[in-house]
Amino acid sequence: MALIFLDNTGAFAVSVAKQISNLRLKIHQNMDAKQQAARIVAGLKKAGIDFVATLPDEKMVEVIRSVEDDPGLKHIPLCREEEGIGICAGAYLAGKKTALIMQNAGFLNSCNALTTTCLQFQIPTLLLIYYAGDIGDRGFTTLGSVTEPALQALGIRYAILRKTDEIDEMLRGAQILAEDSKKPVAVLLTKNVLGVK
Amino acid sequence: MMQRYDFLKVIAGDAADALAVCTGWGAREWWALRPGDSNLKTRTLGLVSSIAAGLALALPHRKVIAIDGDGAFLMNLCGLPTIALQSPPNLIHLLFDNECYEASGGTPTASHLADAVALAIGAGYKHATWVKTPGDFRSEFVQAWKRNQLTLIAAKVEPGQPGDLPPLRLDEIENKYRFMRYLEETEKRGILSSGFDSKL
Repeated sequence: MALIFLDNTGAFAVSVAKQISNLRLKIHQNMDAKQQAARIVAGLKKAGIDFVATLPDEKMVEVIRSVEDDPGLKHIPLCREEEGIGICAGAYLAGKKTALIMQNAGFLNSCNALTTTCLQFQIPTLLLIYYAGDIGDRGFTTLGSVTEPALQALGIRYAILRKTDEIDEMLRGAQILAEDSKKPVAVLLTKNVLGVK
Repeated sequence: MMQRYDFLKVIAGDAADALAVCTGWGAREWWALRPGDSNLKTRTLGLVSSIAAGLALALPHRKVIAIDGDGAFLMNLCGLPTIALQSPPNLIHLLFDNECYEASGGTPTASHLADAVALAIGAGYKHATWVKTPGDFRSEFVQAWKRNQLTLIAAKVEPGQPGDLPPLRLDEIENKYRFMRYLEETEKRGILSSGFDSKL
């Protein structure tokens, strides 16, 4: 009996230790994600962005929270990404610098509006797209495989953001390109730069 | 039953200072009734209300009207809760429901079953109402303008328009530039970047 009791205690202790370690890992990851989100939002603001429409991917939740909490950004939560293109287009006409934060599935949802509103009227917007199905990302491989070809087919120029120290320069550069070309420009966000696993 | 033009005609004077975002035949009719560079014709089916909402959010001190149709309205149902969530007070959403895709050949939409006012209220619009006559339409429009709260005003109409409407003599890009230049003049600030020789 005593032996069994001891055994159980040991197993319990190991289980608690594992849970604590998992929790620490989670908190650590969450802190990473928060820190990266703050950097991305700061980069957006340095690029002049003041109007942001969003539809979440799990990987971008902290970025969206940071957008929501920032008094310098007007945040428009969406029900479908395509209507976000419309809202951003309307805001652009009145002088707002707009960005749309979404997953690549949402980019595919937006293709008609990108074509017949943004491209046809020459209306820029910055697209921050989570690259689901990127190399090393589990799931969504079909989505990952069509993302870049679809951007290319629309003639939308894009860059893949993989390194933290490139955030500011790339967001600023993409916004300059969008404004100057009067077209949408996409920045594909990866897990590494979002600080998520 | 009346046509959309009969309704638009009675508010053209009241809406003299509004920015108007229109779609389909409604655009050509509105331009004929209230010509000028404060009109924008959209090209993506459904997005007229979303584009008008973006404009209204960016210019809270200006009145914006969206001239929507049932085909576009039904295509962008998911846009309604998004608009209601922001509830731009300066947006008046007009819907002319002729129960068909008039600009796309006249085949029926589902709007003989789907009640647009119920849909808008369900999505979170505080004010949405059907009107039957141009007189009631005008009175609701004037009320919405004064109340300054997001409002949908919807009317069932016959398809069709006057035969002598002048053609729209501008393309999308010219429409965009003229609209933005009009905003620059009336807002008294620069909106478009300074131009190709700004770096010289």
